[in-house]
Amino acid sequence: MMLLEAAAHMVDPSTISTSSAPLILFWIFSAVVLGGAILTIFQTNMVAAVMSLVATFFGLAAIYAMLSAHFIAALQVLVYAGAIMVLFIFVVMVLNKDEAPRPMRGLITKMIGAISIVSLMFTLMPLLDNAVPGGVETPSADFGTVANVGDILFNDYLFAFEAVSILLLIAVIAAVVVARTHKQEVVEEGHLAEHEAMPEATIEASH
Amino acid sequence: MIPPTYFLYLAALLFAVGAFGVILRRNAIIMLMSIELMLNAANLTILTFGRIHADPHAHAFAFMVIAVAAAEAAVGLAILVGIFRNRRNVNIDELTLMKY
Repeated sequence: MMLLEAAAHMVDPSTISTSSAPLILFWIFSAVVLGGAILTIFQTNMVAAVMSLVATFFGLAAIYAMLSAHFIAALQVLVYAGAIMVLFIFVVMVLNKDEAPRPMRGLITKMIGAISIVSLMFTLMPLLDNAVPGGVETPSADFGTVANVGDILFNDYLFAFEAVSILLLIAVIAAVVVARTHKQEVVEEGHLAEHEAMPEATIEASH
Repeated sequence: MIPPTYFLYLAALLFAVGAFGVILRRNAIIMLMSIELMLNAANLTILTFGRIHADPHAHAFAFMVIAVAAAEAAVGLAILVGIFRNRRNVNIDELTLMKY
């Protein structure tokens, strides 16, 4: 976190700084973000893929700090690199199965998809040049701090905040309901037909 | 000074990498991780424009995106665990039960 804060203090995009240190930091963190992302999608080892994604999220947190979004940067480390990736690594451990090398199927579909994305990028990149017609405005001193964002969250967006907390509660309950094992219930009710229809359903996850 | 368009370029490239992951990989966990990458790219764009206009409302928006992404990851991974219990496999190509 000290590194992030250092990165944030060095950048003052409202004034043209003569030092190139922020730009160098930006390139370094961009390389971390894109390199981690590319490693994530091309890894066959699942644990390595998750670790690459963690590196990506740390790099993104640094980039957020460069945009003066300090609260969101901290949240990125806590929620993404912390909570969500622990969830991912837990599921990878439960599933515990490397992807078997299999023949490339649906090659034409994949080619069409890849070409679509590349063409989307070629269309998008020139548009981004003109995305910022005016200059960059100077933010207030407390821009992006916890006090500032909290003030907005609990005044302007109180309903959305409460709705999102209920959404998270529903998601957690749904996750437990979907992922729990149904074995006990089935045995209690004596519905053995279900077992015969799907013999694999009775295998415990610990196998 | 870092031109703000650099951040937008980075977000676009990150989104492209995420989209490639969803299209090229058939492992459901990798696909979920690619979706997280795309959500982060969207977040980066939102925060960049918030910084350009010095508008902290963008941060509240990014906060909501992170919360919804957490909910999505929890439910998505729970569904994967449920599928794995029944099918011993999380390859998207083989999950064709509801296809026909």
